[in-house]
Parts: sequence; C-alpha cells; structure tokens
Amino acid sequence: MAKSNDGVRILQGLLVFGNVVIGMCGIALTAECIFFVSDPHGLYPLLEATENDDIYAAAWIGIFVGFALFALSILGIIGVIKSSRTLLLVYIILMLITYAFEMASCITAATHQDFLTPNLFLKQMLERYQKSETENNNDKWMTEGVTKTWNKLMLQNQCCGVKGPSDWQEYTSAFRATHNDADFPWPRNCCVMDAQGSPVNLDGCKLGVPGYYNSNGCYDAISGPMNTHAWGVAWFGFAILCWTFCVLLGTMFYWSRIE
Amino acid sequence: MGASPFPLRCRLTASSVVVISRALTPQVCWPRVPAAALLPYVPRVPPAALPGKLTATTFALERPCCVFDGHANASDTVWLVVAFANASAAFRNPPSRANVPLYERLPTALSYMTLETAAAAYACSAPSPAFLRVGDDTVCGGQGSRDPCNGPLPSPGPYRVKFLVMGCHGPKAETRWSDPILLHTASSPSTIDPAPVRCGSDVVVIASILASLGAVLAAAVLGAAGAAAWGSLCRRGSGTSAFARSSYRTHHIPPALPQPLPPGCTCSPPGLGCFAPRPPGPCPAE
Repeated sequence: MAKSNDGVRILQGLLVFGNVVIGMCGIALTAECIFFVSDPHGLYPLLEATENDDIYAAAWIGIFVGFALFALSILGIIGVIKSSRTLLLVYIILMLITYAFEMASCITAATHQDFLTPNLFLKQMLERYQKSETENNNDKWMTEGVTKTWNKLMLQNQCCGVKGPSDWQEYTSAFRATHNDADFPWPRNCCVMDAQGSPVNLDGCKLGVPGYYNSNGCYDAISGPMNTHAWGVAWFGFAILCWTFCVLLGTMFYWSRIE
Repeated sequence: MGASPFPLRCRLTASSVVVISRALTPQVCWPRVPAAALLPYVPRVPPAALPGKLTATTFALERPCCVFDGHANASDTVWLVVAFANASAAFRNPPSRANVPLYERLPTALSYMTLETAAAAYACSAPSPAFLRVGDDTVCGGQGSRDPCNGPLPSPGPYRVKFLVMGCHGPKAETRWSDPILLHTASSPSTIDPAPVRCGSDVVVIASILASLGAVLAAAVLGAAGAAAWGSLCRRGSGTSAFARSSYRTHHIPPALPQPLPPGCTCSPPGLGCFAPRPPGPCPAE
C-alpha cells in the first residue's frame, strides 16, 4: 500500500499548500477592503448621496470574508494534517458559507461599477451643489457632503464640473438659483487660485480665458479611484473564489477517503 | 464703466441746444446735425474658443481697436448700442446724450446703449484687455438711475450690436450692425438620464463563472452527503447495525439421517428409535 500512501501524502501536501495560499489571500483581501472603506480620496459623500453605496457594502463584506478565510485556512491545515473527519466537515461547511458571501460581494461590486456613469455625477452635482433649501436633515447632510466634496475636488485636482465648465452653462442648477449667471458663469473654485485662495484674474476666469480657469472636467478624478475600488473587490475576490473552489473540491475528495 | 464726463464746454453746448430747441416754435429750423458716418467695421463675438463668451445673460465682443481713429476726437465717447435683432432696423441714433435709451428701458424700447467709453480708450496705441463683456455689471441699474448700466441681459435674444461715436452735437460715426447674437438657454437637469449605457461584460463574466462554480460545489456537497446517507441506509436494511462491524452467519442444522437399525430390530417407524425385539412375526410392511 506504499503507492496509495504516497498518493495520500501528495494530496495532503497539496491541500496544505492550497490552504496556505487561501490564508494569505484572505489577509490581503481584508487589508485591501479596509483601505477602500477608509476612503482616502474623500469620495464617499458623493456615493452616499446617490443612495446606492453598495460598493462600500461589498468592501465591508470583503473585510469579514478575508478574515474568515484566514481562520478557516488554519482549521483546514490542522484538519488535513490530523486527517480528522469532523474537523474537515466543519471546515467544508464553513467554507461554503464564506464562499456564498464572497460571491455576493464580488457580483455586487461588479454590478455597481457600471452604475457610476458621468451622467449620474453630473445630475447629482447640478441638483445638490450649493443647494440652499433642503427638505429634511438627511437631505441637508447629503447636500453638505456633496458641496464640500466638490469644492475640495475642484481645488485639489484643478478641474471644473464633471465634463467641463460648460456643464454649468448647459443646465440650470441649484447653484444657479442662488448665484447669478453674470457674476458666476461657474463656481469660483473653477478659477485658478493664487496662494491666498482668491482667483488670479476674475474677469479672465468669467470669460474663460485659458490660464485663468480650470478647463478639464473632474470625472477622471472621481471615476479613477472608484473603478480601482470596484475592480479590486470584484476581481480579486473572483480570483480567490476560483482558487478556493479547487481547494474545496480536493478537500471533499480527501474527506471521502478518510477511513 | 469708466465713463469720462463730457468737458464742461461740450455739456453746456449740448444742453443749450436742447433748451433752444424747446423754446423755438416748430417752424424755426435749428442746425441739422450731419448724419453719422458709417464705418465698415462689423462688431463680432470673438471667434476664439472661450467657454464664457456667450452665457445665459452676457456675451463678449472683440474690442474695436483703431476703428474710430480719424472719426472721433479725444472728447468724444463711444457707446455700444444693443438691440433685439428684429428691432435693430427701427433703431434711430439718439440726437444727444440726454436721449440715450438706457438699460432699464430695454423691455419697452427694445434697445439700449451702454459701455460709454472715451474714444481714446479704443485708440491704436491704448493698452487694453482684448474683450468687452456686455452684461458684466450686476450692481447697477437701480430704479430711477440715469447712468448707463451694463447690466445682464434679461432674455436670450437674439441681439444685434453696433458702436456709436457720440460727440458734442450728437452721433458722429457708427459701425455696421453685427450678426444676430443668440445667448444660451440652459436646460433642466431632470433631462439627464443617469442609467448606464450598456450592461458591462465584466458583470456577465463574473456572475456566470461564479454561479457555475457555486453550483458545482453545491452539487459535490450534496452528492457526497447523499452517497454517505445512501450507504448507511443500505447497510441498515440488510439487518446489521452500522456500528458493529462483525457479521453473523446462520448455522443450518441438517435433519438427522436415519440410523442403520441395530441387528434384531424389526421395522418400525423411523425416528422412534429402536425398540426391544418382539417374537418374530410376519413383516406387516408388505
């Protein structure tokens, strides 16, 4: 029976290796999702105001799934080495539950990445930026978040509007209701500012003379980090799930062979 | 903006002309003012791609440098006439500064004059910004104000403009009317459709592959659980319990063979054993 002994040893070795990889990927997934949830670019208020921040929900699930994968991989290694049917049965059942959660997280992240179109942010910016009459506390909170985020975005990234300053001219907006068109064809933050925070040349900014206003749109500054976030959660989770699938099948086969 | 007041000499002359014209009876002719010279310059919106050159209430014009040299003295002023495009043909140059239609009367008079500037500001040698912005001033135009106001335009137009050089005796020179200038009309943001253009292929790939992997795993688990349950059911059905691993074999006790009769025993029913012999008699068996 030396040959089947070797076979068993090889299978055990492969399963231990598979579980080690799952454990490391679990830690990586947790770290990545914590990074996304911490919102380093300050874009969360924009997502919150769309009332559909499922990408953040997917990242939160990712944190716990990653940690669960790490813990279960340790359980799996112990179960394989001790050839214990009970431990491996517990491992398989808990892994299946974790698998289901991670599937949900991946599909959510992938679906909601498509949801983040330029028109979505344009409409939100026009309807909420510097809106003066808010209906309730929730509306006020979201409006303040959007206004602060846009002010910061336009200053830091030297951009204006979603596609450009012409967004403010093509559409009426909550901003236009309180700021007249002659003095504010676009918000002040679209102007090139000096070190003290005032426009370098206000008349040049109002006319749109190159060099005195920000001519590019902010969409790239918004969609870049959000796409990275969504891709990171969706595709890394997908890779982990493919690997976990193979390890789980191997573990089930091993479990069925234990006397 | 930056209007230079008329020199004292010019102002007195103009007002005295007005007073004289009111006092005299209509049949007395007062000196006819010569018609304004028509300059070939056409005012236009700058062709450069400036996003702010046409907004909802303002527009920009190229500055007419060197256009009025030779037709205007240093004491003259250059006005900008703004009129609705369909009212430009009916516009008559005002005979004096007092008759200048002002910004506040635009809705009724369908035209007004603004941007009163000294002619020297448009001279060739004057350094100046390249554009004039009509509608720039949002604080002027109060009720009863008599000063020219460069206020924002109330409607999208279209408008036509021309420059008019006003001297002491009235208009001295004018440019041609511009092409109609139409301002922007903004649309409502509710017309924006935020829905994604197409369903991403990423979603389809991820969802389909994950769903199939999940289904395979679920099938494997169910299969393994089913096989284990079926195996245990089979063993219980054949009468042995699954725990005791030994099996029983039943013994079959064969019926005893008829023993050979000891000598002296007569025929007697088999199985009854052998009885004591009786006096021999005829066998009842035949």
